[in-house]
Amino acid sequence: MITNQLALVRRELWEHRSIYITPAVVGLVMILTLLTAFVFASGYQEIVDIGIVGAQNLAGDVERRAALLALLIGNSIPFIFAGAILTIFYCLDSLYAERKNKSILFWRSLPITDAETVISKLLTTVLAIPLIAFVVIVCVHLIILAITSIFVSIQGGSSVFLVWKSAPLFDVWAGMLIITILLPIWFSPFIGWFLFVSAWTKRSPLLMAFLPLALVPTLEYWVLRTHLIWDAIQTRFEQLPFLKGIDPEQFFDDERFIASTDAVSLLAYIDIGHFLASPQMWAGAVVCGLFITAAIYVRRYRDES
Amino acid sequence: MTSLVTARNVSKSFGAVRAVDNVSFEIEKGKITGLFGPNGAGKTTLLKALLGLTDCDGDLSVLGLDPFRQRKELMKNICFIADVAVLPRWIKVEQLLDFVEATHPNYSRKRSEELLARTKVRKDARVRELSKGMVTQLHLSIITAVDARLLVLDEPTLGLDIIFRKEFYGNLLNDYFDGERTILITTHQVEEIENLMTDIMFINDGRLLLDASMESLASRFVELVTSGENADKARQLGPIYERDVFGKKVMTFEGIDRDKVAAFGELHTPSVADLFVAKVKGAAA
Repeated sequence: MITNQLALVRRELWEHRSIYITPAVVGLVMILTLLTAFVFASGYQEIVDIGIVGAQNLAGDVERRAALLALLIGNSIPFIFAGAILTIFYCLDSLYAERKNKSILFWRSLPITDAETVISKLLTTVLAIPLIAFVVIVCVHLIILAITSIFVSIQGGSSVFLVWKSAPLFDVWAGMLIITILLPIWFSPFIGWFLFVSAWTKRSPLLMAFLPLALVPTLEYWVLRTHLIWDAIQTRFEQLPFLKGIDPEQFFDDERFIASTDAVSLLAYIDIGHFLASPQMWAGAVVCGLFITAAIYVRRYRDES
Repeated sequence: MTSLVTARNVSKSFGAVRAVDNVSFEIEKGKITGLFGPNGAGKTTLLKALLGLTDCDGDLSVLGLDPFRQRKELMKNICFIADVAVLPRWIKVEQLLDFVEATHPNYSRKRSEELLARTKVRKDARVRELSKGMVTQLHLSIITAVDARLLVLDEPTLGLDIIFRKEFYGNLLNDYFDGERTILITTHQVEEIENLMTDIMFINDGRLLLDASMESLASRFVELVTSGENADKARQLGPIYERDVFGKKVMTFEGIDRDKVAAFGELHTPSVADLFVAKVKGAAA
Protein backbone atom coordinates (compact mmCIF):
# COMPACT_ATOMS: atom_id res chain seq x y z
CA MET A 1 0.00 0.00 0.00
CA ILE A 2 2.68 2.51 1.05
CA THR A 3 5.14 1.47 -1.66
CA ASN A 4 2.35 1.77 -4.20
CA GLN A 5 1.47 5.24 -2.92
CA LEU A 6 5.09 6.36 -3.14
CA ALA A 7 5.34 5.07 -6.70
CA LEU A 8 2.02 6.68 -7.63
CA VAL A 9 2.87 10.08 -6.16
CA ARG A 10 6.29 9.94 -7.83
CA ARG A 11 4.51 9.25 -11.09
CA GLU A 12 2.38 12.38 -10.55
CA LEU A 13 5.56 14.43 -10.21
CA TRP A 14 6.90 12.94 -13.44
CA GLU A 15 3.72 13.70 -15.29
CA HIS A 16 2.96 17.13 -13.84
CA ARG A 17 6.28 18.89 -13.91
CA SER A 18 4.42 22.14 -13.26
CA ILE A 19 4.28 21.04 -9.60
CA TYR A 20 7.89 22.08 -9.17
CA ILE A 21 8.35 24.34 -12.17
CA THR A 22 5.61 26.76 -11.02
CA PRO A 23 7.11 27.55 -7.59
CA ALA A 24 10.58 27.66 -9.14
CA VAL A 25 9.45 30.28 -11.66
CA VAL A 26 7.68 32.31 -8.97
CA GLY A 27 10.87 32.19 -6.88
CA LEU A 28 13.01 33.22 -9.80
CA VAL A 29 10.74 36.18 -10.58
CA MET A 30 10.93 37.33 -6.97
CA ILE A 31 14.69 37.05 -6.84
CA LEU A 32 15.03 38.97 -10.10
CA THR A 33 12.64 41.65 -8.83
CA LEU A 34 14.67 42.04 -5.67
CA LEU A 35 17.92 42.29 -7.65
CA THR A 36 16.37 44.94 -9.90
CA ALA A 37 15.19 46.85 -6.85
CA PHE A 38 18.67 46.79 -5.36
CA VAL A 39 20.32 47.92 -8.56
CA PHE A 40 17.75 50.68 -8.83
CA ALA A 41 18.13 51.64 -5.17
CA SER A 42 21.94 51.74 -5.43
CA GLY A 43 21.62 54.64 -7.82
CA TYR A 44 19.85 56.68 -5.16
CA GLN A 45 21.80 55.62 -2.15
CA GLU A 46 22.73 59.14 -1.17
CA ILE A 47 19.13 60.25 -1.02
CA VAL A 48 17.61 57.14 0.41
CA ASP A 49 19.86 55.18 2.61
CA ILE A 50 17.74 52.28 1.67
CA GLY A 51 17.65 49.91 4.48
CA ILE A 52 14.04 48.98 4.04
CA VAL A 53 14.96 45.51 3.11
CA GLY A 54 18.15 45.31 5.04
CA ALA A 55 16.35 47.03 7.88
CA GLN A 56 19.21 49.43 8.44
CA ASN A 57 16.95 52.38 9.04
CA LEU A 58 15.12 50.76 11.81
CA ALA A 59 16.29 51.62 15.21
CA GLY A 60 15.51 48.73 17.48
CA ASP A 61 16.13 45.01 17.21
CA VAL A 62 12.44 44.22 17.43
CA GLU A 63 11.56 46.61 14.64
CA ARG A 64 14.27 45.21 12.40
CA ARG A 65 12.98 41.77 13.17
CA ALA A 66 9.45 42.90 12.33
CA ALA A 67 10.54 44.33 9.00
CA LEU A 68 12.36 41.13 8.07
CA LEU A 69 9.39 39.06 9.17
CA ALA A 70 7.14 41.14 6.94
CA LEU A 71 9.63 40.75 4.08
CA LEU A 72 9.79 36.97 4.43
CA ILE A 73 6.04 36.53 4.79
CA GLY A 74 5.46 38.90 1.90
CA ASN A 75 7.80 36.83 -0.22
CA SER A 76 5.91 33.67 0.69
CA ILE A 77 2.43 34.87 -0.21
CA PRO A 78 2.87 34.68 -4.03
CA PHE A 79 3.75 31.01 -3.62
CA ILE A 80 0.46 30.41 -1.88
CA PHE A 81 -1.54 32.01 -4.68
CA ALA A 82 0.51 30.24 -7.35
CA GLY A 83 0.03 27.00 -5.43
CA ALA A 84 -3.74 27.52 -5.36
CA ILE A 85 -3.91 27.98 -9.13
CA LEU A 86 -1.55 25.06 -9.66
CA THR A 87 -3.72 22.87 -7.42
CA ILE A 88 -6.88 23.70 -9.37
CA PHE A 89 -5.31 22.84 -12.71
CA TYR A 90 -3.57 19.75 -11.37
CA CYS A 91 -6.77 18.37 -9.82
CA LEU A 92 -8.83 18.99 -12.94
CA ASP A 93 -6.24 17.33 -15.16
CA SER A 94 -5.28 14.41 -12.97
CA LEU A 95 -8.19 12.07 -13.65
CA TYR A 96 -9.27 13.61 -16.94
CA ALA A 97 -6.12 13.44 -19.08
CA GLU A 98 -5.65 9.70 -18.53
CA ARG A 99 -9.14 9.06 -19.89
CA LYS A 100 -8.72 11.50 -22.73
CA ASN A 101 -5.47 9.90 -23.94
CA LYS A 102 -6.63 6.37 -23.08
CA SER A 103 -3.58 5.67 -20.93
CA ILE A 104 -6.06 4.73 -18.20
CA LEU A 105 -6.22 1.32 -19.91
CA PHE A 106 -2.53 0.86 -19.25
CA TRP A 107 -2.67 2.11 -15.66
CA ARG A 108 -5.58 -0.20 -14.95
CA SER A 109 -3.64 -3.17 -16.34
CA LEU A 110 -1.37 -2.95 -13.31
CA PRO A 111 -2.23 -4.38 -9.89
CA ILE A 112 -3.33 -1.05 -8.43
CA THR A 113 -6.87 -0.33 -7.27
CA ASP A 114 -8.86 2.69 -8.40
CA ALA A 115 -9.00 3.82 -4.78
CA GLU A 116 -5.20 3.78 -4.54
CA THR A 117 -4.91 5.82 -7.73
CA VAL A 118 -7.44 8.47 -6.70
CA ILE A 119 -5.96 8.71 -3.20
CA SER A 120 -2.51 9.25 -4.71
CA LYS A 121 -3.89 12.28 -6.57
CA LEU A 122 -5.36 13.60 -3.33
CA LEU A 123 -2.05 13.05 -1.52
CA THR A 124 -0.22 14.86 -4.29
CA THR A 125 -2.56 17.81 -3.79
CA VAL A 126 -2.52 18.01 -0.01
CA LEU A 127 1.08 16.92 0.62
CA ALA A 128 3.38 16.94 -2.40
CA ILE A 129 2.37 20.31 -3.86
CA PRO A 130 2.52 22.14 -0.47
CA LEU A 131 5.79 20.50 0.61
CA ILE A 132 7.52 21.26 -2.67
CA ALA A 133 6.26 24.85 -2.48
CA PHE A 134 7.57 25.01 1.08
CA VAL A 135 11.04 23.81 0.11
CA VAL A 136 11.17 26.42 -2.67
CA ILE A 137 9.99 29.10 -0.21
CA VAL A 138 12.88 28.21 2.14
CA CYS A 139 15.38 28.34 -0.72
CA VAL A 140 14.04 31.70 -1.94
CA HIS A 141 14.20 33.10 1.60
CA LEU A 142 17.84 32.09 1.88
CA ILE A 143 18.72 33.54 -1.52
CA ILE A 144 16.87 36.78 -0.79
CA LEU A 145 18.63 37.17 2.56
CA ALA A 146 21.97 36.40 0.91
CA ILE A 147 21.36 39.11 -1.70
CA THR A 148 20.25 41.48 1.05
CA SER A 149 23.43 40.72 3.01
CA ILE A 150 25.56 41.58 0.02
CA PHE A 151 23.67 44.81 -0.40
CA VAL A 152 23.94 45.67 3.29
CA SER A 153 27.68 44.90 3.25
CA ILE A 154 28.21 47.15 0.25
CA GLN A 155 26.42 49.87 2.19
CA GLY A 156 28.85 49.29 5.01
CA GLY A 157 26.50 47.54 7.40
CA SER A 158 27.09 44.32 9.25
CA SER A 159 25.10 41.71 7.40
CA VAL A 160 25.55 39.10 10.09
CA PHE A 161 24.06 41.37 12.70
CA LEU A 162 21.53 43.26 10.59
CA VAL A 163 20.27 40.41 8.50
CA TRP A 164 21.07 36.91 9.68
CA LYS A 165 20.75 37.51 13.41
CA SER A 166 17.60 39.55 12.96
CA ALA A 167 15.68 37.37 10.54
CA PRO A 168 13.22 35.15 12.41
CA LEU A 169 13.91 32.32 9.97
CA PHE A 170 12.77 29.36 11.98
CA ASP A 171 9.65 31.11 13.14
CA VAL A 172 8.73 32.00 9.56
CA TRP A 173 9.59 28.54 8.24
CA ALA A 174 7.68 26.68 10.92
CA GLY A 175 4.75 29.03 10.36
CA MET A 176 4.85 28.68 6.58
CA LEU A 177 5.11 24.90 6.84
CA ILE A 178 1.99 24.81 9.00
CA ILE A 179 0.14 27.22 6.72
CA THR A 180 1.04 25.38 3.51
CA ILE A 181 -0.14 22.10 5.04
CA LEU A 182 -3.32 23.44 6.64
CA LEU A 183 -4.51 25.54 3.69
CA PRO A 184 -5.27 22.57 1.40
CA ILE A 185 -6.98 20.80 4.29
CA TRP A 186 -9.18 23.85 4.87
CA PHE A 187 -9.98 24.07 1.17
CA SER A 188 -10.30 20.29 0.81
CA PRO A 189 -14.01 20.37 -0.18
CA PHE A 190 -12.96 22.24 -3.32
CA ILE A 191 -10.09 19.82 -3.92
CA GLY A 192 -12.50 16.90 -3.60
CA TRP A 193 -14.94 18.59 -5.96
CA PHE A 194 -12.24 19.29 -8.57
CA LEU A 195 -10.96 15.71 -8.43
CA PHE A 196 -14.50 14.42 -8.78
CA VAL A 197 -15.14 16.66 -11.81
CA SER A 198 -11.87 15.46 -13.29
CA ALA A 199 -12.94 11.82 -12.93
CA TRP A 200 -16.45 12.42 -14.11
CA THR A 201 -16.65 15.03 -16.86
CA LYS A 202 -16.50 14.05 -20.50
CA ARG A 203 -15.33 17.49 -21.64
CA SER A 204 -14.02 20.89 -20.50
CA PRO A 205 -13.25 20.11 -16.85
CA LEU A 206 -12.51 23.77 -16.02
CA LEU A 207 -15.96 24.87 -17.11
CA MET A 208 -17.65 21.88 -15.50
CA ALA A 209 -15.86 22.66 -12.24
CA PHE A 210 -16.72 26.33 -11.99
CA LEU A 211 -20.11 26.55 -13.66
CA PRO A 212 -21.92 24.58 -10.92
CA LEU A 213 -20.22 26.73 -8.27
CA ALA A 214 -22.15 29.65 -9.75
CA LEU A 215 -25.26 27.86 -10.98
CA VAL A 216 -26.14 25.77 -7.96
CA PRO A 217 -26.28 28.70 -5.49
CA THR A 218 -28.31 30.72 -8.03
CA LEU A 219 -30.72 27.83 -8.42
CA GLU A 220 -30.98 27.46 -4.68
CA TYR A 221 -31.87 31.12 -4.38
CA TRP A 222 -34.51 30.97 -7.13
CA VAL A 223 -36.16 27.84 -5.86
CA LEU A 224 -35.76 28.01 -2.12
CA ARG A 225 -35.00 31.69 -1.59
CA THR A 226 -32.08 30.67 0.60
CA HIS A 227 -28.35 31.07 0.09
CA LEU A 228 -26.84 28.37 2.25
CA ILE A 229 -24.48 27.01 -0.40
CA TRP A 230 -23.24 30.45 -1.35
CA ASP A 231 -22.67 31.27 2.33
CA ALA A 232 -20.75 28.04 2.79
CA ILE A 233 -18.51 28.86 -0.17
CA GLN A 234 -18.04 32.45 0.87
CA THR A 235 -17.20 31.84 4.52
CA ARG A 236 -14.58 29.32 3.46
CA PHE A 237 -12.66 32.24 1.94
CA GLU A 238 -13.45 34.80 4.60
CA GLN A 239 -12.01 33.13 7.63
CA LEU A 240 -9.07 30.81 8.01
CA PRO A 241 -9.54 29.16 11.40
CA PHE A 242 -5.82 28.50 11.88
CA LEU A 243 -5.04 32.23 11.76
CA LYS A 244 -5.76 34.40 14.75
CA GLY A 245 -7.07 37.81 13.92
CA ILE A 246 -4.18 40.17 13.19
CA ASP A 247 -4.30 43.44 14.98
CA PRO A 248 -2.28 45.81 12.79
CA GLU A 249 -1.88 48.26 15.67
CA GLN A 250 -0.29 45.67 17.80
CA PHE A 251 1.87 44.33 15.04
CA PHE A 252 3.29 47.56 13.83
CA ASP A 253 2.34 50.87 15.27
CA ASP A 254 3.04 53.43 12.57
CA GLU A 255 3.00 56.44 14.81
CA ARG A 256 5.22 55.12 17.47
CA PHE A 257 7.17 53.00 15.06
CA ILE A 258 7.48 50.35 17.69
CA ALA A 259 6.59 46.73 17.41
CA SER A 260 5.77 44.60 20.37
CA THR A 261 8.13 41.67 20.80
CA ASP A 262 5.44 39.03 21.19
CA ALA A 263 3.74 40.09 18.02
CA VAL A 264 6.83 39.75 15.87
CA SER A 265 6.32 36.09 15.14
CA LEU A 266 4.35 34.26 12.52
CA LEU A 267 3.76 31.34 14.86
CA ALA A 268 2.09 33.72 17.31
CA TYR A 269 -0.74 34.12 14.78
CA ILE A 270 -1.25 30.46 14.16
CA ASP A 271 -3.66 28.47 16.25
CA ILE A 272 -3.68 24.78 15.33
CA GLY A 273 -5.93 23.91 18.23
CA HIS A 274 -8.61 26.27 16.99
CA PHE A 275 -8.27 24.75 13.53
CA LEU A 276 -8.63 21.19 14.77
CA ALA A 277 -11.62 22.17 16.89
CA SER A 278 -13.32 23.95 14.02
CA PRO A 279 -16.53 22.17 12.98
CA GLN A 280 -16.27 23.79 9.53
CA MET A 281 -12.89 22.17 8.99
CA TRP A 282 -14.29 18.72 9.79
CA ALA A 283 -17.43 19.33 7.78
CA GLY A 284 -15.21 20.30 4.84
CA ALA A 285 -13.13 17.16 5.25
CA VAL A 286 -16.28 15.05 5.17
CA VAL A 287 -17.46 16.79 1.99
CA CYS A 288 -14.02 16.15 0.47
CA GLY A 289 -14.27 12.49 1.49
CA LEU A 290 -17.65 12.17 -0.21
CA PHE A 291 -16.37 13.67 -3.45
CA ILE A 292 -13.28 11.44 -3.36
CA THR A 293 -15.47 8.37 -2.83
CA ALA A 294 -17.58 9.47 -5.78
CA ALA A 295 -14.44 9.95 -7.90
CA ILE A 296 -13.24 6.43 -7.05
CA TYR A 297 -16.68 5.06 -7.85
CA VAL A 298 -16.81 6.79 -11.22
CA ARG A 299 -13.31 5.66 -12.20
CA ARG A 300 -14.14 2.11 -11.22
CA TYR A 301 -17.64 1.71 -12.62
CA ARG A 302 -17.84 3.87 -15.67
CA ASP A 303 -17.19 2.05 -18.89
CA GLU A 304 -16.41 4.55 -21.59
CA SER A 305 -15.91 2.29 -24.53
CA MET B 1 -6.87 -29.80 -17.52
CA THR B 2 -7.24 -26.68 -15.46
CA SER B 3 -9.56 -23.93 -16.55
CA LEU B 4 -8.11 -20.48 -16.23
CA VAL B 5 -11.28 -18.80 -17.36
CA THR B 6 -14.78 -20.06 -16.74
CA ALA B 7 -17.74 -18.10 -18.04
CA ARG B 8 -21.30 -19.25 -17.44
CA ASN B 9 -24.21 -17.30 -18.88
CA VAL B 10 -22.27 -14.08 -18.92
CA SER B 11 -24.25 -11.07 -20.13
CA LYS B 12 -23.67 -7.35 -20.24
CA SER B 13 -26.20 -4.78 -21.41
CA PHE B 14 -25.85 -1.12 -22.23
CA GLY B 15 -29.39 0.15 -21.98
CA ALA B 16 -31.44 -1.96 -24.37
CA VAL B 17 -28.39 -3.27 -26.22
CA ARG B 18 -27.10 -6.65 -25.09
CA ALA B 19 -23.40 -6.32 -25.88
CA VAL B 20 -22.68 -9.77 -24.47
CA ASP B 21 -25.60 -12.17 -24.50
CA ASN B 22 -25.56 -15.27 -22.36
CA VAL B 23 -22.06 -16.45 -23.23
CA SER B 24 -20.52 -19.58 -21.73
CA PHE B 25 -17.03 -20.94 -22.37
CA GLU B 26 -13.85 -22.14 -20.74
CA ILE B 27 -10.22 -21.38 -21.50
CA GLU B 28 -7.72 -23.96 -20.41
CA LYS B 29 -4.15 -23.51 -19.32
CA GLY B 30 -1.52 -23.50 -22.03
CA LYS B 31 -3.88 -22.56 -24.84
CA ILE B 32 -3.65 -19.75 -27.33
CA THR B 33 -7.21 -18.75 -28.04
CA GLY B 34 -8.23 -16.39 -30.81
CA LEU B 35 -11.44 -14.45 -30.28
CA PHE B 36 -12.97 -13.08 -33.48
CA GLY B 37 -15.97 -10.97 -34.18
CA PRO B 38 -16.99 -8.06 -36.38
CA ASN B 39 -16.86 -4.54 -34.96
CA GLY B 40 -19.45 -4.09 -32.26
CA ALA B 41 -19.82 -7.85 -31.78
CA GLY B 42 -19.08 -7.64 -28.08
CA LYS B 43 -15.42 -8.73 -28.15
CA THR B 44 -14.09 -5.75 -26.29
CA THR B 45 -16.91 -5.81 -23.76
CA LEU B 46 -16.25 -9.48 -23.10
CA LEU B 47 -12.53 -8.83 -22.69
CA LYS B 48 -13.24 -5.92 -20.37
CA ALA B 49 -15.42 -8.15 -18.24
CA LEU B 50 -12.62 -10.77 -18.14
CA LEU B 51 -10.15 -8.09 -17.09
CA GLY B 52 -12.40 -6.69 -14.38
CA LEU B 53 -12.73 -3.36 -16.15
CA THR B 54 -16.49 -3.65 -16.25
CA ASP B 55 -18.98 -5.68 -14.26
CA CYS B 56 -21.38 -8.17 -15.84
CA ASP B 57 -24.20 -10.59 -15.08
CA GLY B 58 -23.69 -14.32 -14.82
CA ASP B 59 -20.76 -16.29 -13.40
CA LEU B 60 -17.35 -15.27 -14.50
CA SER B 61 -14.20 -16.60 -12.92
CA VAL B 62 -10.68 -15.78 -14.09
CA LEU B 63 -7.81 -17.59 -12.35
CA GLY B 64 -10.36 -18.48 -9.71
CA LEU B 65 -11.12 -14.82 -8.99
CA ASP B 66 -14.09 -12.59 -9.58
CA PRO B 67 -12.45 -10.19 -12.02
CA PHE B 68 -14.49 -7.10 -11.17
CA ARG B 69 -14.38 -7.46 -7.43
CA GLN B 70 -10.81 -8.78 -7.15
CA ARG B 71 -9.21 -6.80 -9.96
CA LYS B 72 -6.05 -5.89 -8.07
CA GLU B 73 -5.37 -9.49 -7.14
CA LEU B 74 -6.14 -10.56 -10.69
CA MET B 75 -3.79 -8.02 -12.25
CA LYS B 76 -0.86 -9.61 -10.44
CA ASN B 77 -1.30 -12.67 -12.64
CA ILE B 78 -2.79 -11.22 -15.78
CA CYS B 79 -1.31 -8.94 -18.38
CA PHE B 80 -3.12 -7.16 -21.11
CA ILE B 81 -2.58 -4.88 -24.04
CA ALA B 82 -5.99 -3.32 -24.40
CA ASP B 83 -5.30 -1.19 -27.41
CA VAL B 84 -2.27 0.01 -29.29
CA ALA B 85 -0.60 3.17 -28.09
CA VAL B 86 -2.22 3.40 -24.67
CA LEU B 87 1.10 3.87 -22.97
CA PRO B 88 1.13 7.40 -21.53
CA ARG B 89 2.90 9.61 -24.04
CA TRP B 90 4.61 11.87 -21.52
CA ILE B 91 6.45 9.11 -19.68
CA LYS B 92 10.10 8.20 -20.24
CA VAL B 93 10.94 4.56 -20.94
CA GLU B 94 13.09 4.46 -17.84
CA GLN B 95 10.29 5.88 -15.67
CA LEU B 96 7.83 3.37 -17.07
CA LEU B 97 10.10 0.49 -16.09
CA ASP B 98 10.65 2.08 -12.66
CA PHE B 99 6.93 2.41 -12.11
CA VAL B 100 6.02 -1.12 -13.14
CA GLU B 101 8.89 -2.46 -11.05
CA ALA B 102 7.60 -0.57 -8.00
CA THR B 103 4.00 -1.63 -8.37
CA HIS B 104 4.04 -5.11 -9.93
CA PRO B 105 5.15 -7.98 -7.70
CA ASN B 106 5.72 -10.40 -10.59
CA TYR B 107 7.72 -8.12 -12.86
CA SER B 108 11.34 -8.66 -13.83
CA ARG B 109 12.94 -5.41 -14.88
CA LYS B 110 16.05 -7.24 -16.01
CA ARG B 111 14.01 -9.22 -18.49
CA SER B 112 12.41 -6.05 -19.91
CA GLU B 113 15.84 -4.49 -20.33
CA GLU B 114 17.15 -7.55 -22.14
CA LEU B 115 14.21 -7.44 -24.52
CA LEU B 116 14.52 -3.71 -25.07
CA ALA B 117 18.23 -4.06 -25.80
CA ARG B 118 17.26 -5.92 -28.96
CA THR B 119 15.18 -2.98 -30.18
CA LYS B 120 15.92 0.64 -31.05
CA VAL B 121 13.97 1.91 -28.05
CA ARG B 122 16.21 4.23 -26.00
CA LYS B 123 15.69 4.26 -22.26
CA ASP B 124 15.83 8.03 -21.96
CA ALA B 125 13.26 8.57 -24.71
CA ARG B 126 9.73 9.64 -23.98
CA VAL B 127 6.97 7.44 -25.33
CA ARG B 128 5.73 10.26 -27.60
CA GLU B 129 9.11 10.26 -29.36
CA LEU B 130 8.78 6.59 -30.30
CA SER B 131 7.17 5.24 -33.45
CA LYS B 132 3.98 3.21 -33.11
CA GLY B 133 5.92 0.01 -33.69
CA MET B 134 8.44 0.91 -31.03
CA VAL B 135 5.68 1.69 -28.53
CA THR B 136 4.28 -1.78 -29.14
CA GLN B 137 7.74 -3.31 -28.69
CA LEU B 138 8.07 -1.41 -25.42
CA HIS B 139 4.66 -2.53 -24.22
CA LEU B 140 5.37 -6.12 -25.17
CA SER B 141 8.74 -5.99 -23.39
CA ILE B 142 6.93 -5.00 -20.22
CA ILE B 143 4.17 -7.56 -20.28
CA THR B 144 6.50 -10.32 -21.40
CA ALA B 145 8.62 -9.59 -18.34
CA VAL B 146 5.66 -10.06 -16.04
CA ASP B 147 5.36 -13.61 -14.85
CA ALA B 148 1.66 -13.72 -15.67
CA ARG B 149 -0.49 -16.76 -16.13
CA LEU B 150 -2.84 -15.19 -18.62
CA LEU B 151 -2.08 -12.67 -21.32
CA VAL B 152 -4.94 -10.85 -23.02
CA LEU B 153 -4.26 -8.99 -26.25
CA ASP B 154 -6.96 -6.83 -27.82
CA GLU B 155 -6.00 -5.89 -31.37
CA PRO B 156 -2.34 -5.70 -30.38
CA THR B 157 -1.03 -5.04 -33.88
CA LEU B 158 -3.62 -2.58 -35.15
CA GLY B 159 -2.00 0.11 -37.24
CA LEU B 160 1.41 -1.55 -37.35
CA ASP B 161 3.19 -2.34 -40.58
CA ILE B 162 3.68 -5.92 -41.68
CA ILE B 163 7.24 -6.21 -40.40
CA PHE B 164 6.33 -5.17 -36.89
CA ARG B 165 3.27 -7.40 -36.96
CA LYS B 166 5.26 -10.48 -37.90
CA GLU B 167 7.92 -9.61 -35.38
CA PHE B 168 5.30 -9.05 -32.69
CA TYR B 169 3.86 -12.53 -32.97
CA GLY B 170 7.31 -14.06 -33.38
CA ASN B 171 8.47 -12.42 -30.16
CA LEU B 172 5.27 -13.36 -28.42
CA LEU B 173 5.81 -17.04 -29.15
CA ASN B 174 9.54 -17.05 -28.48
CA ASP B 175 9.71 -14.82 -25.43
CA TYR B 176 6.39 -15.27 -23.74
CA PHE B 177 4.70 -18.50 -24.59
CA ASP B 178 6.11 -21.57 -22.90
CA GLY B 179 3.15 -23.93 -22.76
CA GLU B 180 2.51 -22.98 -19.15
CA ARG B 181 1.12 -19.62 -20.02
CA THR B 182 -2.16 -18.88 -21.68
CA ILE B 183 -2.98 -16.27 -24.29
CA LEU B 184 -6.26 -14.79 -25.45
CA ILE B 185 -6.04 -12.66 -28.61
CA THR B 186 -8.53 -10.64 -30.60
CA THR B 187 -7.57 -9.30 -33.98
CA HIS B 188 -9.02 -8.46 -37.36
CA GLN B 189 -6.01 -9.96 -39.06
CA VAL B 190 -7.11 -13.57 -38.69
CA GLU B 191 -4.50 -14.96 -41.09
CA GLU B 192 -1.65 -13.71 -38.95
CA ILE B 193 -2.52 -15.81 -35.97
CA GLU B 194 -4.15 -18.72 -37.74
CA ASN B 195 -1.02 -20.82 -37.34
CA LEU B 196 -0.33 -20.04 -33.74
CA MET B 197 -3.78 -20.48 -32.24
CA THR B 198 -4.75 -23.69 -30.52
CA ASP B 199 -8.36 -22.68 -29.97
CA ILE B 200 -10.83 -20.39 -31.61
CA MET B 201 -13.97 -18.52 -30.63
CA PHE B 202 -16.36 -16.52 -32.82
CA ILE B 203 -18.66 -13.92 -31.37
CA ASN B 204 -21.35 -11.92 -33.13
CA ASP B 205 -24.17 -9.76 -31.77
CA GLY B 206 -22.99 -10.66 -28.31
CA ARG B 207 -23.47 -14.38 -28.85
CA LEU B 208 -20.85 -17.08 -29.11
CA LEU B 209 -21.10 -18.71 -32.55
CA LEU B 210 -18.17 -21.06 -32.27
CA ASP B 211 -15.90 -22.35 -29.54
CA ALA B 212 -13.62 -25.07 -30.81
CA SER B 213 -10.06 -26.30 -30.91
CA MET B 214 -8.16 -25.70 -34.14
CA GLU B 215 -7.60 -29.45 -34.49
CA SER B 216 -11.31 -30.11 -34.46
CA LEU B 217 -12.04 -27.67 -37.27
CA ALA B 218 -10.98 -30.08 -40.04
CA SER B 219 -13.32 -32.79 -38.86
CA ARG B 220 -16.13 -30.45 -37.97
CA PHE B 221 -16.20 -28.20 -41.03
CA VAL B 222 -15.85 -28.92 -44.67
CA GLU B 223 -16.01 -26.70 -47.71
CA LEU B 224 -17.40 -28.03 -50.94
CA VAL B 225 -16.66 -26.47 -54.32
CA THR B 226 -19.32 -27.49 -56.76
CA SER B 227 -21.61 -26.29 -59.52
CA GLY B 228 -24.75 -27.05 -61.51
CA GLU B 229 -26.82 -30.05 -60.57
CA ASN B 230 -24.42 -31.20 -57.90
CA ALA B 231 -24.88 -27.85 -56.21
CA ASP B 232 -28.62 -28.39 -55.98
CA LYS B 233 -28.12 -31.85 -54.51
CA ALA B 234 -25.51 -30.62 -52.04
CA ARG B 235 -27.82 -27.82 -50.98
CA GLN B 236 -30.29 -30.47 -49.78
CA LEU B 237 -27.71 -31.47 -47.17
CA GLY B 238 -28.05 -28.08 -45.46
CA PRO B 239 -24.87 -26.05 -45.78
CA ILE B 240 -24.50 -23.36 -43.17
CA TYR B 241 -23.34 -20.88 -45.79
CA GLU B 242 -23.03 -20.63 -49.52
CA ARG B 243 -21.08 -18.23 -51.70
CA ASP B 244 -20.12 -17.80 -55.34
CA VAL B 245 -16.50 -17.96 -56.44
CA PHE B 246 -15.68 -17.68 -60.16
CA GLY B 247 -19.05 -19.07 -61.18
CA LYS B 248 -18.79 -21.98 -58.79
CA LYS B 249 -20.66 -22.53 -55.58
CA VAL B 250 -18.70 -22.84 -52.39
CA MET B 251 -20.73 -24.37 -49.57
CA THR B 252 -19.67 -24.70 -45.97
CA PHE B 253 -20.99 -27.66 -44.00
CA GLU B 254 -20.81 -28.20 -40.31
CA GLY B 255 -20.78 -31.61 -38.61
CA ILE B 256 -21.33 -33.59 -41.78
CA ASP B 257 -19.74 -36.82 -42.90
CA ARG B 258 -17.18 -35.91 -45.59
CA ASP B 259 -18.06 -38.99 -47.64
CA LYS B 260 -21.62 -37.75 -47.97
CA VAL B 261 -20.60 -34.59 -49.82
CA ALA B 262 -17.43 -35.87 -51.51
CA ALA B 263 -19.41 -37.05 -54.52
CA PHE B 264 -20.64 -33.53 -55.34
CA GLY B 265 -17.31 -31.84 -55.87
CA GLU B 266 -14.00 -30.84 -54.43
CA LEU B 267 -13.54 -30.78 -50.63
CA HIS B 268 -11.40 -28.38 -48.57
CA THR B 269 -10.98 -27.52 -44.98
CA PRO B 270 -12.13 -23.90 -44.76
CA SER B 271 -9.69 -21.20 -43.70
CA VAL B 272 -10.48 -19.48 -40.45
CA ALA B 273 -11.42 -16.31 -42.32
CA ASP B 274 -13.86 -18.16 -44.59
CA LEU B 275 -15.24 -20.08 -41.67
CA PHE B 276 -15.75 -16.84 -39.81
CA VAL B 277 -17.74 -15.36 -42.69
CA ALA B 278 -19.75 -18.59 -43.00
CA LYS B 279 -20.65 -18.62 -39.32
CA VAL B 280 -21.47 -14.93 -39.07
CA LYS B 281 -23.43 -14.72 -42.33
CA GLY B 282 -24.96 -18.13 -41.80
CA ALA B 283 -26.20 -17.16 -38.37
CA ALA B 284 -27.66 -13.97 -39.76
CA ALA B 285 -29.49 -15.74 -42.61
